[in-house]
Amino acid sequence: MKLLLKIGKALLLGVFLILALGPLYWVIVTSLKGSQEIYAFPIRYLPESLNLENYEYLFNISNFGMYFRNSILISLIAATGALFISMFSGYALSRFREQKLKMTLLLAMYFTQIIPTYMLMSPLFTSFAKIGMTDSLLGLTMVYIAMMIAFSTIMAKSFFDRIPVALEEAAMTDGCTRTQTLFKVVIPLTLPGLAAIFSFAFVNIWNELFLAVMLLSSDHNMTVPVALNSFISKAGVSWGVLSAGIVVALLPTMIVFAFAQKYIIMGLTEGAVKG
Amino acid sequence: MKKTIAVLIVVMTLLSVSVCASATTLNFLEVMTSPERTALLKSMIAEYEELNPGIKINLISPPYEQSDQKATLMLNTNQPLDIIEVRDYTVKQFVNNKKLTDLTDYVNEWSDAETLTPVATAAATTVNDIPYLVPQSIFIKALFVRTDILAANGINDTPKTIEELVEVSKKITNPAKNQYAFAWRGKSFEIKFADLFALPYVEDFKNAKYIYSEDESYFLDPGFKEGMEAYITLFKEGVPKDGINWGFNEQINAFVSGATPFLIQDPDAIPLIDKLLGPDKYEVVTLPVGPHGFSYIDYGFCGLGIPSYSKNKKEAWDFIKWMSSPEKNGYYNEHYGPLPVHTTTFETNEHFQGKHYVAYDYEMNHPEQFLFVTYDLASEKWPGWAKIHETDMQSVLLGKMELDTALQKWADYWQK
Amino acid sequence: MAIMVPAFVFLTLFVYFPIVKGVVISFQNYTLYDMTNIHWIGLDNFRAIMTDINFGFLQIIINTVIWILVSLLFQFLLGFILALLMKEPFRGRGIYSALVFYPWALSGFAIGLIWAWMFNGQFGIINDVLLRLGLISNNVGFLSDPRYAMVSVIVANIWYGVPFFAIMLLAALQSVPAELMEAAKIDGAGPVRRLFSITIPYIKPTIVSTTLLRTMWIMNFPDIIYAMTGGGPSNSTNILATQMINKILQFYDYGQGAAFGVVIMLILFAYAIIYLRISATKEDATI
Repeated sequence: MKLLLKIGKALLLGVFLILALGPLYWVIVTSLKGSQEIYAFPIRYLPESLNLENYEYLFNISNFGMYFRNSILISLIAATGALFISMFSGYALSRFREQKLKMTLLLAMYFTQIIPTYMLMSPLFTSFAKIGMTDSLLGLTMVYIAMMIAFSTIMAKSFFDRIPVALEEAAMTDGCTRTQTLFKVVIPLTLPGLAAIFSFAFVNIWNELFLAVMLLSSDHNMTVPVALNSFISKAGVSWGVLSAGIVVALLPTMIVFAFAQKYIIMGLTEGAVKG
Repeated sequence: MKKTIAVLIVVMTLLSVSVCASATTLNFLEVMTSPERTALLKSMIAEYEELNPGIKINLISPPYEQSDQKATLMLNTNQPLDIIEVRDYTVKQFVNNKKLTDLTDYVNEWSDAETLTPVATAAATTVNDIPYLVPQSIFIKALFVRTDILAANGINDTPKTIEELVEVSKKITNPAKNQYAFAWRGKSFEIKFADLFALPYVEDFKNAKYIYSEDESYFLDPGFKEGMEAYITLFKEGVPKDGINWGFNEQINAFVSGATPFLIQDPDAIPLIDKLLGPDKYEVVTLPVGPHGFSYIDYGFCGLGIPSYSKNKKEAWDFIKWMSSPEKNGYYNEHYGPLPVHTTTFETNEHFQGKHYVAYDYEMNHPEQFLFVTYDLASEKWPGWAKIHETDMQSVLLGKMELDTALQKWADYWQK
Repeated sequence: MAIMVPAFVFLTLFVYFPIVKGVVISFQNYTLYDMTNIHWIGLDNFRAIMTDINFGFLQIIINTVIWILVSLLFQFLLGFILALLMKEPFRGRGIYSALVFYPWALSGFAIGLIWAWMFNGQFGIINDVLLRLGLISNNVGFLSDPRYAMVSVIVANIWYGVPFFAIMLLAALQSVPAELMEAAKIDGAGPVRRLFSITIPYIKPTIVSTTLLRTMWIMNFPDIIYAMTGGGPSNSTNILATQMINKILQFYDYGQGAAFGVVIMLILFAYAIIYLRISATKEDATI
């Protein structure tokens, strides 16, 4: 029975993996094909020969390396910034006693998530233009922090909610200040959640296209999604290079997922709870 | 190491300051962006900068799909721009919003203006008969034919009329072998293809000023309906059902894979198809004409203009003039794909005398056979019309709407 | 209280303030063709989008509801199952999670493009695979047949969204105290019973917040549909978010585009309040 269960579980995990990887396989194969193979019919499931010209194009002709660096920098800074700010606001929201105010503030957070980005674009651009902040990586980073705060706060609150208040009270009777309690007791307990929040914020920023296109202009400021999008022109999609770009752009996010996964799974059981 | 870097930074800052102090920087926004074209523009800009040491040109290249919107945002907030790429779909709104400079005075003193093709001159003066831009590239359609596929099906002639096209298509189509005939366009400005079949059947269309406008439209003409019926027959008997959802990529996919040996496209598809298929496997011939012996060329264009608020208009014009000279414009389009704007280029540039461009040249020089007419881009009814047409056309092809109903609806829409 | 200030400063500057202007546009005649003549027109934009004969409002609403509900349901269920499967350690779990979560790490437009190509009714890899496996005998027009178009775009959306729930729920599952589980086991509760009487109630705050957030995001996520069908064929996949983009990019009508935006916001706002009320029944802490 136990063995059967194990096999069933492995099978299911395998199905999930295959369904997830199918499209990636197609993207990788396309990125390795020569241009005359891409639209060949019947479909070729393997490239005729390993063709790296798309990757060469990406790094030699297009400035992909630079865009990559910009994106890493923005995503890391904005995701960290948003997480840091949201840790406090999420904690505060979780511990508020005043129900009405709590509900209002929470709704104010949710409210930001119901807004279509398209509606913010033009007003944001206009205000940025007024203060001369268009084409500034710093400006874009600030906007990204703002975009991630609400989601991160809401999620952080839901994780803090599960930490019993009694635990904190115990720490405070032991002589810890509020801030100490937060950092020494509460945050270690919610590390899995915080890791999950960070990885999502990172990935969302890593992929953001519209605001980056509108708020940045210079080539040296471009981010990865903008570069990928630019492989779509009036004369169609450059499938080979775009696929290569997608594959390369996936690497950092996959690393973040693999890394965050460690913390996500390091549950309460391993933490300091038991004490 | 740290020291070297510090020294380097100081030197570089000094250098950049000294360069900036003496140079005028022109900001140039392109909208028909593609990685290849951006690289081409950059190389030409470098050449220009070398010839004009006092000028620096900063090229801004938003991705194609977002570029019109970015251009709008930048212009409406008076962002520092000195040269802007203007295209058929945006010129009217830029002019309406008073964002473009009237170039009449500049053009009058420009000697190369004399050799502009009639299409280019018309494009320049699209709005109010005033030149708000100098066209750089012209897009007109022609019929791409996979002669190898036709030969394999026992066909050795390319169709000259719409009727022949439909007949040949019926003959070669064999779904069991995945053989179809026509690379259909079902979305994203499919209107440009549908109208190419309907209007050549309208005899009165010969004298049309616009393809249609609020003053004059042809949807209720019996000829229009006949043409639409030929088009629908082509779909039913020569196109995979999936065509309803085909855009540019799917069209190219169908043509390159050999599933459909006929494709109607602009000349900038030539470099792409050369790359995906090879230049020897296909021909480009003139558009099939209707029963009255004519078709029309609906030209698209993009060109350069100067924002009304630019502080460097003189310098900007100098660059535009340079880019628009027959030599540079020929070079530019040779590598980009569309048609150049000077008549002389077709006479002197070998590339545009090549076999894939002959048909375009013929179309432009036989106005009695290929009427020279465009959509009324300045009409308030134009924005969004293509989307309405697309939805209705899909309904008709799916059998959810009668053709007559659609025609009446379109006539009503364009009625004043 | 003071520690919430930074968060709200950011939100006020970059979200609340701009959105006021965005909403204002929906009550104005604001078209790109005529920016020199912007004026108030009351509710005309709303009237126009609700009585549009070309893009039936009712159909758009129905499409939107189907798009959200079906996507959300399957994203959540599959994500939850995946999280449960991944809860216990197994060899290679780190690499497995990177490989199974990557769909979430793709840009929306890229997902749309890839799936549009794979779902192509003539040259698509999905048709090809199904034909080879003998599951279908003729090509299926996944994106050109109105019967399948919505299903196809939803499949792409589910594929994309499963990792979100999997990761969030996986994180939440770790916080279910092991002692509680042990106790229930001793009491003779089976795995299903433990799931419904311990696990789910325990991670309810996360479930509530993630499903609510996802509803909002899916509603505001036109990228996949826009790239795959553009709302077609014949409006069968047109949702509020895609029609909003059509109004802006094709019709140059920012006023009507903003009106669609306001409709989206009103629906989601009402939904959020009801959802939070219902889910907060038992005690306060669960919101």
